[in-house]
Amino acid sequence: MTPRATRRRNAPERSALVTGASRGLGAVVARFLGAEGYDLVLVARERGPLESFAGELRSKGATVRTVAADVGSDAGRKLIASTGAFETGLDLLVNNASELGPSPLRPLASVALEDLERVYRTNVVGPIGLVQAFRPALARRSGLVVNISSDAAIGGYPGWGCYGASKAALDLVSLTLAHELASDGIGIVAVDPGDLRTTLHQAAYPGEDISDRPLPEITLPFWAWLLGQPHDALSGRRFRAQAEHWGIPA
Amino acid sequence: MMRASFDFDRPRELEAKSPPEDRGLGRDGVRLLTTGDLGSENGRFADLPGRLRPGDLLVVNESATLPASLPAHSAAGPFLLNLSTYYGDGVWLAEPRWAVGRPGPVPFAPGDEVRAGAVRFRPIAPYPGIPRLWFFRAMGDVGDAMARFGRPIRYGYVDTAHDLGAYQTVFARVPGSAEMPSAARPFTPQLVERLGRRGVRIARVVLHAGVSSLESEPDRPEIPPVYPEPFEVRAATAEAVTRARAEGHRVIAVGTTALRALETAWTYGGMVAARGFTQLTLGPGREVRSADGLLTGLHDPRTSHLALLFGFAGEARVRAAYAEAIRAGYLWHEFGDSHLVWRPGAG
Repeated sequence: MTPRATRRRNAPERSALVTGASRGLGAVVARFLGAEGYDLVLVARERGPLESFAGELRSKGATVRTVAADVGSDAGRKLIASTGAFETGLDLLVNNASELGPSPLRPLASVALEDLERVYRTNVVGPIGLVQAFRPALARRSGLVVNISSDAAIGGYPGWGCYGASKAALDLVSLTLAHELASDGIGIVAVDPGDLRTTLHQAAYPGEDISDRPLPEITLPFWAWLLGQPHDALSGRRFRAQAEHWGIPA
Repeated sequence: MMRASFDFDRPRELEAKSPPEDRGLGRDGVRLLTTGDLGSENGRFADLPGRLRPGDLLVVNESATLPASLPAHSAAGPFLLNLSTYYGDGVWLAEPRWAVGRPGPVPFAPGDEVRAGAVRFRPIAPYPGIPRLWFFRAMGDVGDAMARFGRPIRYGYVDTAHDLGAYQTVFARVPGSAEMPSAARPFTPQLVERLGRRGVRIARVVLHAGVSSLESEPDRPEIPPVYPEPFEVRAATAEAVTRARAEGHRVIAVGTTALRALETAWTYGGMVAARGFTQLTLGPGREVRSADGLLTGLHDPRTSHLALLFGFAGEARVRAAYAEAIRAGYLWHEFGDSHLVWRPGAG
């Protein structure tokens, strides 16, 4: 057991902020963290689903605060930063909220440029803004930032260019932040969760049957593994949650 | 491929209910079936040096078995908490069972706590697709609890409890397996010495085997039949395997765990040092590139182990070998007999 892991385990409480937390992958991660004993701040745009999900977690004994906000807007990020929930520090920031772009997907050659800007605001500007806002809180706990990426970031799949380019940008953001924030003791990882049966994936294929894709729960073993690793060994790496193996080079 | 494709009839009586030592044999007195291009040959495990060639490289799993079965209780009553895999930072995957011969599920309600000695375990979430397995957060010294109260994990087909020593192989060095990597159980120090004199070399990997309880294999096609397990292939082993292959020597994985570790670390052109968690699933359609032979036990119908064997050596070869094993009365399970299988053209 590393000294860092011991310190984290003996800490009185651990805290996590999850964006896009009211459904899909974000909800699965939040439910796991809540049961694991993290104090949670959950962020989503729509208050109704967010509050009802938070209620479910509270009924199971989790400590949950909610912020209905859009991570893609200045106002939204200010609202999140002003919760004051992390005075003692932040252990985990999961930048999961993602914007697909037009549904159905449109090729880059004809995508509306305002759609492209909207996607970048949520998928790239949002995570950077939250890291800026919570850098001191993360540094206090030698915290970990998880940026949710996608196989579209490297696939070049027709139609996925708008979303994929934003995730490719986020991958480089993750790698750069890992170098820039190493001296703060903050770890940054990018995680490609793989194809999942989620609202976002359905929006990419409206009306099509996506029931062959696994539910986001399939990623639980990956999260259990990731959160058990020392942050400094993880930082700067990109993982695929549904890969045949997850490793840290010796 | 559907799991039903990996079916065959294994007579119920062909299972080892106790270690060979209890049956008046040495560890290496169990039987060894050797299957290659010319069919299957019967023998004893002690004959192994004669079945190998100078220069052959055996790759063994040096994971040691934990006393991973803890007497526990919760609001549901007393049960066994069989620890499967340590994920780090206090999180364990475990299988709560009512008793050795009686699987769960054991029901948990929100806020329930499991106690095992002085250690408290908080249920976090069921394993996706395998509801018998749960993630738990442990509060307290789990190693101490295992040392005081833990027993080796056992299932109903083994009739009595045995000491942890019965569940360790001669290569065991790194504690971490919930269940013995049993393929290496028949090796004795004397046999290892005879192999060395024969010019057979030995390299080591680690793969900590989780619980194998047969009831827990998922039937939903999207759930991987193998769940992630910790492994490590160090640089010296990676180099030894790469060199053996380049020089035309044969590589023999001792156990499906060793094979999965090797294959996880195999990259285009050779083997590299690697560590982490692997859920690599081997079977038909997934060619094995890192090994020529597999020394293993006899595997039950409809298991991922049998799928691996079909993929490794070909279904027809394995079915013929198993017909011979059944005809000759070989014994299945961790205290049972052994099988050395060569890929076509390798032996």
